[in-house]
Amino acid sequence: MGKKLKTETVTKPEAKPKESPKTPVPKRAIWTGSLTIGLINVPVRLYPMIYDRGISFHFLHKTDGQPLKYERVCTKDGKLVPWDEVVKGYEVAKKQYIVFNKEELDAFKPESDRRIRIDKFIDYLSIDPIYFHTSYILMPDKSNDSYGLLLKALETKGKACIGRITLRTKEYPAIVHAYKDSLVLTTLRYPYDVADPQSLEELKELKEPAKAELALAVKIITDLSGEFDITEYRDNYREKVEALIQKKLKGERIVVEKPVVKEEAKELMSALRETLKQLEKK
Amino acid sequence: MNERLTKVNFSNLDKVIFPKLKITKAQVIEYYIKVAPRLLEVVADRAIVLTRYPDGVDAQGFYAKDMPKGTPSWVRTKTFYSDSAERNVNYIIVNDLDTLIWLANLAAIEIHMPLSRVDAREKPDFVLFDIDPEPPAGFDDAIAVALLLKEKLDQLGLQPYIKTSGKKGFHIVIPIVREYTYGRTREFAHVIGQFLARESEIVVSEFSETKTPNKVFMDYTQNSHGKTMVVPYGLRATPDATASTPLDWKEVNKGLKPESLSLFSVVKREKDPWKGILENRQKLEVR
Repeated sequence: MGKKLKTETVTKPEAKPKESPKTPVPKRAIWTGSLTIGLINVPVRLYPMIYDRGISFHFLHKTDGQPLKYERVCTKDGKLVPWDEVVKGYEVAKKQYIVFNKEELDAFKPESDRRIRIDKFIDYLSIDPIYFHTSYILMPDKSNDSYGLLLKALETKGKACIGRITLRTKEYPAIVHAYKDSLVLTTLRYPYDVADPQSLEELKELKEPAKAELALAVKIITDLSGEFDITEYRDNYREKVEALIQKKLKGERIVVEKPVVKEEAKELMSALRETLKQLEKK
Repeated sequence: MNERLTKVNFSNLDKVIFPKLKITKAQVIEYYIKVAPRLLEVVADRAIVLTRYPDGVDAQGFYAKDMPKGTPSWVRTKTFYSDSAERNVNYIIVNDLDTLIWLANLAAIEIHMPLSRVDAREKPDFVLFDIDPEPPAGFDDAIAVALLLKEKLDQLGLQPYIKTSGKKGFHIVIPIVREYTYGRTREFAHVIGQFLARESEIVVSEFSETKTPNKVFMDYTQNSHGKTMVVPYGLRATPDATASTPLDWKEVNKGLKPESLSLFSVVKREKDPWKGILENRQKLEVR
């Protein structure tokens, strides 16, 4: 760590000032089809909405700074295996596989009939958020009128549609609701993909707390109760790495310091920054 | 952590200071950092007095006027002869965030300030009405007296400010031009107290009546050289980690619970009812 690698392939982009990450703008639809309610059809395109952005690194060769690549080699003879010799195996027991080829698996693929089939209308908030999987923005596909009508109708009734969608090889329950003047589709998890906390034995041994303790805990909750504001939360790791990236871009020598500040002092530091900012304004 | 945000070297951050709520020194420091902009505005240029609780508020604290051994050179101090100690004392002046953090790191939970500043120690810039209910009189009685006092001061064309003491009473202050001696402000508070005592059964205004059960004492003697008041937003060494909290007069109503104004809740209060208090200096000329 801390060693600067000189590579010829790296060009130096302009160093930008540190800022919080911008909200992404989806570029390309990942699915097109139509939303069907009985006989009504609303052609739609599905755009990604959720971006799980971390900071990604590439593996480089330490000695010359060149990027590394992965290759498929046979575990027996260590030789490179070309794609046309690759099949999929399902492990039935240790080191025992049932072999599938592409045609066989394709035959099992759920029929992606390019439809979001709506079964009924429900209250959005009646779904336990545990089941929410991923959200997508639904865009009209030359269907502005019917799209707008459905949106308005959902807003008026305060309801959401529940139905099914097949994405790639998987069929999901999905909910479509009005959000910021658009329709948003959220795929849901199956109950069998969610663990039941009560399956953990320890939870069955919880003692009933003493009254006084409970009263105190409840008091703390009351004292600390507030409005939820997601913008109060930031990815500190990401911010630090980004700051480091900016420094490296400017060619500053990076001294990797041991974290002198312990866990509990982190809060102090962020409070300090905030107060220093306020005092500066005065 | 490349940049150094404070000159203070933190120590024993996980030491528990308020055992009932398991509040650590780190949380105390964080609290003082957060209220600093509001607190410093009033406490600046005053020779403060501390009550330190290095072993937590359940253990014996100690009162300290003199700067402790090992006080860093960047901490501002001022030396005065102390009548009570009968010697020169190096008082700490809290004019910046670092000094405040340093005090918190010393477990100086309670910070008390005189009503006058070091450049004119005989000319206070506050009149203080210390409202102190004696059980079984309680906080609701203190509220009633505070509102009565407010009404009286309003009639006199004065604009008082109020804070909880962090214990069982209130501190009501009028920021004043620095023209009056303590003798004058003490007399003023005393006269107002006597006035209220005539109007209200529950108020007592004379020093001899201190600690009369079920009465609310308006302690005019607090307006004296050498007396101090806990700083606004200062914590108190109470089990609930209460803070002496400036209030808007609209908040002073029956049912207000001083114990709910604590280390946890006070930092969340958005408005500072005492904002600009020293820019609103008033004259005690009563029309």
